[in-house]
Amino acid sequence: MIVFSHVSLIYPNSLKTVLEDLSFTVDEGEFVLVMGSTGSGKSSLLRLINGLVPHHTGGILAGDIVVNGLSTREVKPGGLSHLIGIVGQNPLNGFVADKVEEEIAFGMETLNVAPDVMRKRVEEVLDLLSLTNLRDRSIATLSGGEQQRVAIGSALVMHPKVLVLDEPTSALDPIAAEEVLSILHRLVHDLGLTVIISEHRLERVIQFVDRIIDIAGDGVATIGSPQEILKNSITAPPIVQLSRALEMPEVSLTVREMRRATQDFRESFTFNLHASAPRNESPEVISISKLTSAFGNKIALRDISLKVHAGEIIAVMGRNGAGKSTLLRSIAGVLRPQSGEIRVCGQEPSKLKGASRISSVGYIPQEPSDLLYGQSVGGECLQADKDNKVPPGTTSGILANLLPNISSNVHPRDLSEGQRLGLAISVVLSADPKILILDEPTRGLDYSAKASLIILLRRLAGEGRTIIIASHDVELVAEVGERVLFIADGEIVADGSTVEVLLSSPAFAPQVAKIMAPLPWLTVNDVLRVKN
Amino acid sequence: MANRTLHPLAWWSWAGSLAIAIAKSNSLILAVSVVGVVAVVVVKKSERAPWANSFRWALTMGLWIIVIRIFIGITIGVPTYGRTLFVLPIVALPSWMAGVRIGGVVTLERLSATAHEGFMLAAIIALLGAASSLSSPHRLLRSLPVMVYEFGVAVVIATSVLPQIVISAGRIRQAQTLRGQSSKSLRRFALPLLEDSLSRSLDLAAAMDSRGYGFSRKRSRYRPSIWSYREFSLMLPSLAAIIIPAFAFFVAIAALFLAPGRDNQ
Repeated sequence: MIVFSHVSLIYPNSLKTVLEDLSFTVDEGEFVLVMGSTGSGKSSLLRLINGLVPHHTGGILAGDIVVNGLSTREVKPGGLSHLIGIVGQNPLNGFVADKVEEEIAFGMETLNVAPDVMRKRVEEVLDLLSLTNLRDRSIATLSGGEQQRVAIGSALVMHPKVLVLDEPTSALDPIAAEEVLSILHRLVHDLGLTVIISEHRLERVIQFVDRIIDIAGDGVATIGSPQEILKNSITAPPIVQLSRALEMPEVSLTVREMRRATQDFRESFTFNLHASAPRNESPEVISISKLTSAFGNKIALRDISLKVHAGEIIAVMGRNGAGKSTLLRSIAGVLRPQSGEIRVCGQEPSKLKGASRISSVGYIPQEPSDLLYGQSVGGECLQADKDNKVPPGTTSGILANLLPNISSNVHPRDLSEGQRLGLAISVVLSADPKILILDEPTRGLDYSAKASLIILLRRLAGEGRTIIIASHDVELVAEVGERVLFIADGEIVADGSTVEVLLSSPAFAPQVAKIMAPLPWLTVNDVLRVKN
Repeated sequence: MANRTLHPLAWWSWAGSLAIAIAKSNSLILAVSVVGVVAVVVVKKSERAPWANSFRWALTMGLWIIVIRIFIGITIGVPTYGRTLFVLPIVALPSWMAGVRIGGVVTLERLSATAHEGFMLAAIIALLGAASSLSSPHRLLRSLPVMVYEFGVAVVIATSVLPQIVISAGRIRQAQTLRGQSSKSLRRFALPLLEDSLSRSLDLAAAMDSRGYGFSRKRSRYRPSIWSYREFSLMLPSLAAIIIPAFAFFVAIAALFLAPGRDNQ
């Protein structure tokens, strides 16, 4: 279906080849995963398939890419629109209509499909993706998972043979991600659709894929079955790391296989749940009582009461739209509560201004680049020193500690996702806040960037800072969190130690916990600690 | 499949003719009753679409217009004879502003005249709001004739993106506050917003490109609006209402019977 023959790609003004002499064939009905660290060229590879690279982005392409007999050299992306459906990293940026139904019909309108055919196909797609009751809704009001489904629907309605998705679950909670991926799985099996997907969180997709293309970042790419690739690759999901740690001869990719393989291991341990965590004796930094928050007549938070101590790491979890961001923003003081009381370091956060604000609460929004407006990394750091009234060089010192090899002349936009997050954290940390709040920090981060974030957060908590993270990433929470708040529909439904909360919910349990249940281990390190 | 709602052009010409009729008759009773009936039509027949709230916005805006018009009418204005309600102190103005007076005697006649004017303006705005509630401007643009259809599609896409830009502007402003910025620097606000909108437009262009936009020379229309006897029977009396304004009230009611209901789709 898709044939890459000797493909090399280089972008103008760049010395690094993105891909070098890459050849592979993807057959009809295959589910292929593209993996690699951030900035390694995953998106470029995906966009090569329908010719967006280089027709849309520029760059020099050598070799040939043929999809269903059509070469992207000769046909522009528009000419392949009936053959390839592409869903971008952020589907909201690609929407053209304001209503779900019109969005889905847009592609067919441009190809001059007859109105009655369009009607039939739109109805089919609405049914297939269970969007029927959303057909008249405004796209802007949909949740992340629903938007992702609309984007997939508007690609599927063209009856493509190939569906290309760039990190389709990065903004989704575990349940919505599962939903999207199982739809893709069904499409592959029922319709023989060829699906090519890129994803950082391998634990979410690994059980579905037939083959993996692993991009190393230096132009080299390998393609093979998941077992082959994951046996030796640096990036590996927890399930593979576990089988490596247990020195198993074969890597297993599904929880079921792995449970069978580890049966003896599990039975050699007796079930003993930790005694509950000792009472935290450190001083209280945040106290919330009876907090209610609403937008218009929609209640976002209802009667929340919460106490947080210094040096704690708290993870806030819950589905998209459960009220996580509202809680974080209320603590940061950008949202005034409708009723109830919040005290941060003894003060009302919404009344904090200037210096007293930045020295008590540091907040990293979902888009870290919102915080940045400098023209270079160096300029950004100097500006932060001036804003926070600290001696010049403080911010760049923190940054150098965090990311040693970053040039100060680079524009923040040109940094990788992880580097940008590091810069934003340095800017916020230079004011020495007592509380650090991160909203969904691992979106777009690869495993190694995530590991350094985990080390950093632990160190900051060790210094006595309180850290609050909202995240969909159960693996991150399992590694870093001590206490988990689970929010559903604006209410705290669970508040306890990470082990207790994560183990009690199957959908939010990390992979290792699913394999090792009922033993209370969340991460590979937990297992190793007990084993040795 | 039945015509889901009336042709957008029918709704807009209906609302437009009613607005003209109200303006021509200049009668408060007619304006109040027409807006009342139109409100019922909006409640019963409006689309479940992003624009459905336009009527409510228009009413709020109209209310402000009335308040501001009355305020200006009381403070600035020419003296009108009639029953004195109260007297405001006159503000002394430089000699070159002769003819303008701030303060002075407020009569019942002056007050009622300004209120009347304000209400008329508010009623016309409410009618336009009703039209966009009943059929969004996007639907109107989509039903443009073939020659300007491409242009219409482009405008629809451009305006669909607007709410997202408003959202990201709010997000960026919030982030700046969080960095301890209390002064509003345009550069600090505009740069991230510009970068954000630029990358958004690049994404949008790539998405449109890969969905074949501009590839085929002819475009077809999803759910084309059909012009049938219903549209005619709404449009003809609407035009008549322009000639005989008193007729407007009944034309407004007629829409209730001619428009297909939301519930029986």
